Amino acid sequence: MIRAGLLSLSLVTATLLSAGALAQQAGPRVDPGAPPSLPGPAIEAPAPAVVAPDLVMDLSAPRVSITSAFQGEKLLLFGMFDPPGEVVVVVSGPPARETVLRKERFLYLWLNTGRQAFDDVPAYYYIAASQPLQRLLARGTGGEILSLEDRMSTVHAATPRASAELARFRSGLVEVKRREGLFPADIGQVSIQANRLFRVDLPFPSRLPEGVYDVRAYLLRDGKIVAAVSRPLPVSKVGFNAQLAGWAGREGALYGLGAILMALLVGWLGGAVVRRL
Amino acid sequence: MEIYLPIAEQSINVFLLLGLGGVAGLLAGMFGVGGGFLATPLLIFVGIPPAVAVASQANQVIANSVSSLQVQWRRGNVDLRMGLVLLLGGIVGSSVGVTLFTYLKRIGQIDFVIAVLYVVMLSTIGGLMAFESLRTYFRHKRHPETPRGKLHQHYMVHRLPWKMRFYKSKLYISAFLPMGLGFVIGILSAILGVGGGFVLVPAMIYLLGMPTSVVIGTSNFQVLFVAANVTFLQSATNGTVDVVLALLLILGGVVGAPVGARLAAKMPGVVLRGLMALLILGVAAQLLVELLRAPYSPYSLGLREVLK
Repeated sequence: MIRAGLLSLSLVTATLLSAGALAQQAGPRVDPGAPPSLPGPAIEAPAPAVVAPDLVMDLSAPRVSITSAFQGEKLLLFGMFDPPGEVVVVVSGPPARETVLRKERFLYLWLNTGRQAFDDVPAYYYIAASQPLQRLLARGTGGEILSLEDRMSTVHAATPRASAELARFRSGLVEVKRREGLFPADIGQVSIQANRLFRVDLPFPSRLPEGVYDVRAYLLRDGKIVAAVSRPLPVSKVGFNAQLAGWAGREGALYGLGAILMALLVGWLGGAVVRRL
Repeated sequence: MEIYLPIAEQSINVFLLLGLGGVAGLLAGMFGVGGGFLATPLLIFVGIPPAVAVASQANQVIANSVSSLQVQWRRGNVDLRMGLVLLLGGIVGSSVGVTLFTYLKRIGQIDFVIAVLYVVMLSTIGGLMAFESLRTYFRHKRHPETPRGKLHQHYMVHRLPWKMRFYKSKLYISAFLPMGLGFVIGILSAILGVGGGFVLVPAMIYLLGMPTSVVIGTSNFQVLFVAANVTFLQSATNGTVDVVLALLLILGGVVGAPVGARLAAKMPGVVLRGLMALLILGVAAQLLVELLRAPYSPYSLGLREVLK
């Protein structure tokens, strides 16, 4: 969090500087929030030919590392925009084919008899906005920003089925994903400070699929996207965990032999030691 | 304290796993059978995927049986010849079992098959044990000295061909019998992640007619190698052995086993068997309820396949 704070401070400073340069071109504008310790020369220097971006963002960590102590993680997404406007953030995990199983009653027993595969299901999906989405998108921004519901309706069935049944399986899929914390909320809240800073917490659960996640922020004015930025967020096991999972996946036979040796050794030694006590 | 399991892909409390291993070890020490039949359903119950629970439990069984075999071997309680014949069936059975497991997992029915097999097996064995220990208890009360009967009964199975002499077990029986028994135990072992001692031990006593003294050691011998085979095959075909999970269970078991052995030494055998029967029936009842009760949510997710 401290690191995140520092990062955001330096980001704010940098953006304020360029905003100041821009302000000189556009006419005088007062920045009441500017810290007094701002280095002077930068403002007095001739205006550079760089146009300040309308929207910048960063994350409190460049990646999600699944270590042995990993219990899920909360990342802070923060940034700055040129007012006026509202901000929408969309985080989406790598798409994959997911199979939904449904228990049905068969002779008093509950069995997984129903199954339906869906393609292009995001591993994780979280959308957050600074205003209720309906209001932001009222004038129809086109298909780029998708609410969870819209995103899930684009997920197509791998095999055909009656549409009522399909809808049930689809809502079952959402239900399970929500339970596992992979669809954290229908819509999260982006909070805006000083009319130009925004921030939102991205909650990641402990059962997090690996892959490269896509993090996007949009700036909207009058229901239209005026700026968008995106960056990849790699999620991966690291260190010992990564090594073990890698071996198990690539060298299953060798890993199996290792597991057997480990068990023989610990069982033998452990038995011998405890019997001495 | 939470730890992230690299293959199960979730974080779980370390002490919960150590405790589970400890309970399994306690049972192993008390009754001379591995606690796999209890630990595997409990692992699934706390949210470990069944495929990972079963494969990692097989890994744990290796440690459990090697530490028990150490003692039995030194005391000369292993009928090596019988063990090898059992093992022959066991290796084939467990290989078939892992193949079956892989297939069931693919069609999404593995959880159901595991639950049903557990219910059938545990209620049969628990019921038989409860009946037997009650009968012994009451007979013992009425006639403290029961006359010694024949060494063992002779059934139809003793007419099978390919008879072999098992000197240590004082048996002259068809090799098909232990081989078939090993085969069945091997399948159970692969699908349920148990050593199979709790089926093998009664079967050796009542079906094969082996003397009680060599039963535990010989069972340990067969279970050790079958569990190793299951661990190897599960890892090579499904990649579902979580060594971190297994290691925590093993460490718990190492501490639990001697405690169980000490407890067992203080209790009469009939009471011990009665308690074991109750425990087995309890687990079976719990699993049966899970099968019969309407699920909290009917939906779950099967395989997740990243398409290239």
